[in-house]
Amino acid sequence: MNIRDLHHEDGQPPSADQQAGEYVLGVLDAAQRREAEQRISSDAAFARLVDQWEQRLAPLLEEVGSAPVPAHVWLRVRRELGWATFDTAPNARPWQRTGFWQGATALAAALALVAVFTRPAPDAPVPTPVAVTPAPTPAVEPEQATRPVTPLLHDDGRAGWLASVDATLGKVLMVPVPSAPDAQGRAPELWVIPAGGAPVSLGLVSNDRAHTVDVPAALRSALVNGSVLAITLEPSAGAPHPAPSGPVVAKGDIANL
Amino acid sequence: MPQPDAPDGADARRLDALLEQVATQDRDAFEALYQQAGGRLFAICLRLLRDRGEAEDVLQEVFVTVWHKASRFDPGKASAMTWLSMLARNRSIDRLRAAPPRALDDVSIAEELPDGDLQPAQLAERNDEDARLQDCMQALEPRRRSLIRAAFLDGASHDELARRLATPLGTVKSWIRRGLTQLRVCLEP
Repeated sequence: MNIRDLHHEDGQPPSADQQAGEYVLGVLDAAQRREAEQRISSDAAFARLVDQWEQRLAPLLEEVGSAPVPAHVWLRVRRELGWATFDTAPNARPWQRTGFWQGATALAAALALVAVFTRPAPDAPVPTPVAVTPAPTPAVEPEQATRPVTPLLHDDGRAGWLASVDATLGKVLMVPVPSAPDAQGRAPELWVIPAGGAPVSLGLVSNDRAHTVDVPAALRSALVNGSVLAITLEPSAGAPHPAPSGPVVAKGDIANL
Repeated sequence: MPQPDAPDGADARRLDALLEQVATQDRDAFEALYQQAGGRLFAICLRLLRDRGEAEDVLQEVFVTVWHKASRFDPGKASAMTWLSMLARNRSIDRLRAAPPRALDDVSIAEELPDGDLQPAQLAERNDEDARLQDCMQALEPRRRSLIRAAFLDGASHDELARRLATPLGTVKSWIRRGLTQLRVCLEP
């Protein structure tokens, strides 16, 4: 009991029900919260009062609504749980027969890197890549002071992401030109496509936050000039996927490493 | 993206089932849970913490906890959405309390705070449980109602509320306790 409680108007200590209500309401300070939590684990009657207050007050949360769920937080959850952010699936390569990815590779190669810098964006409000280029460099910055940037372009030539590849450390800094989340709830997934090879997932990326993607050691050899980076829209569940299933929304070829 | 907007509906039952699957360490169910509940939990964290980076940290912490502790979920006691929301609230409030006290400007209460009157469209959509709580909230004296809303939705502590209102701490505590008791009596079946 806090000494200050002796001075409150009623002069009566709070009932167990009021204490449970105060805990659920969230008005207690850190020490009082720890006390309440200890009581929850040791006093079943008190725990029930807390459950009841949670039930009573939960409908107030309806008005808080929902916010677009950040895909990169999912990657951080996976990492913290020690789950591989990349699963090798050598037998699942149906796309090689389709020819689609070879086509995509050729198309991406045909899109000159400079196009995005010279062609103005058709519908204005999208920031130009030039404006987005001074992206935060990763904290791990060895001898290299600068690093080339690979724009991943939409079909209309606008940049969707800028990728800065560090093949030595096996890291790709992804800086998106912020865009609305996919209406169908799919998440952007990053693929690396070695020249003449099949796409391999590097996992989900964010559409509105810059973050670093760790590339498994086995894939670092693919981070070379001539490889393509592509983004498809995929269901978040099961990522990284063995093969792309959704549409390619942006792509670019790694150059100038 | 499917959102469990109607906690009493099929979405709510699906979420309950997903959380029970997570308790069996089903990773696919866990990913689906992140997709379906993550947005609402993130909104709660954002509302309380008012900082995107902090809210992302707490969201990560919440889901890691869900993975380890989903077996504690008891669908007989609460819906999955309530269980998850309270976990997100508690972690957010713990973080708020661990930080230095917020500037007074960051604690909105009383007159400046909307008193929670619902728009007609919301009135039409709300479920029975929600309707009863709103009616009972409306029956509270405005000052008690504002304090309860400021505490529950914005994470204001006793101290913050007292400083903001320039009112003795004991008085603020007393107002809140009376408000809580009045609310419980009103909601009793």
